[in-house]
Amino acid sequence: MFNPGGGCPGARMQVFGQQSETGQEEQGKRVSQLRQWPVQFHLVSPQAPYFQGADLLLSADCVAYALADFHKDYLKGRGLAIACPKLDHNQELYVEKLVQLVDDAKINTLTVMIMQVPCCSGLLALAKKALSQAQRQVPVKAIVVSLQGEILSEEWV
Amino acid sequence: MEKYLNQGIKPLIEQFPVLGDILNKYDIGCTDCTGGSCLLKDVVAIHNVSPQIEADLMYEIEKAIYPERDVVKRVVTEQDLQEKKELKYSPPVKQLVDEHSLILRWLDLVEDVLAYIQVDSEQAWQWIAAGADFSRNYADKLHHSKEEDILFTYVDQSLEIIQVMYEDHDHGRSHIKQVYKAVENQDVELAEKHLLAYRALLREHIKKENEILFPWMDRNLTDTQVGQLFAQFAAVNAELQVDEKYRQFVLEVEDKLKKQVS
Repeated sequence: MFNPGGGCPGARMQVFGQQSETGQEEQGKRVSQLRQWPVQFHLVSPQAPYFQGADLLLSADCVAYALADFHKDYLKGRGLAIACPKLDHNQELYVEKLVQLVDDAKINTLTVMIMQVPCCSGLLALAKKALSQAQRQVPVKAIVVSLQGEILSEEWV
Repeated sequence: MEKYLNQGIKPLIEQFPVLGDILNKYDIGCTDCTGGSCLLKDVVAIHNVSPQIEADLMYEIEKAIYPERDVVKRVVTEQDLQEKKELKYSPPVKQLVDEHSLILRWLDLVEDVLAYIQVDSEQAWQWIAAGADFSRNYADKLHHSKEEDILFTYVDQSLEIIQVMYEDHDHGRSHIKQVYKAVENQDVELAEKHLLAYRALLREHIKKENEILFPWMDRNLTDTQVGQLFAQFAAVNAELQVDEKYRQFVLEVEDKLKKQVS
């Protein structure tokens, strides 16, 4: 792994090299588990039918690139919104939308997937803020993914 | 080994009596169980033992069934240990565990409340009456009905561990019925007998649920089911609205008895 060190952990250059557990090429094609469009949090509408009573996955942008089985293990059966807590503007709008998703769309659960870099925890903080403003409460699960695509933690908060 | 894992524990113990000794050694008391229809694999999974104990237990069981076989004990990894380090519950199950905490706080007061009959009989009987009301409307109507009408419907209710929970609830109800009678007749002996039996029963029952049943159920619930359970519990809480009233009751008795001691 190449790691020159220094600077923001979220922006620090790193090279992981090639990884393959079995040493063999994977066979076959996977089916996408995405069941909606759009997905970017500024673009999605809390009134969309696929959010009503849904299990919502709020994922940091980078997660789907790091986690090989993102579709199969986490996206399947869930509504999706993606955001970057480090770079996106107007994040207050995200809080408002989340409140609407909890109170009006009556989502069933909220799963927040973030990368291990410190700035990514802002997305979980944003979700907690929205829950504190919402009239309803829903179970919230936080999943932290390592830069090399391992699940570091998965727990209800 | 697979075929034995899918067999009921009682006939297995009959076939291999040494299994009963092995399970007893690990505090899994299947030999005293009146039913014994749990599958061997469920017995191991439900009891939520540490990864090391599970590896030791499975090794001993397999060795007892196949004494001639060269059984290899499963190596416990660092990851296994991390995963089992502490009990963490999903939000709806945590809600039940929190309700257990309030019930345990009342049970901790029972002996002092009974002794208080000698100090201020009227006050003590009021507390015993209020405690019976707490047991009936909080511990049973709110809490046990969340378990019986909602949580247990997410698993096979014919499972022995669920049947045992139902039996415990029934025994608790009959004790509380007797406590009401004791209050009516100011019968100290009857109150003492059934309150102490209720305390012993519920302490053991809560330990089984917190440490064995709930972690096992949580491991088997999907995220969607966790959300559904949470919403169903919220509806019950909103309908009954008793949580605050009974929290205040326990707090008040704790406070008064503490002052009495100091």
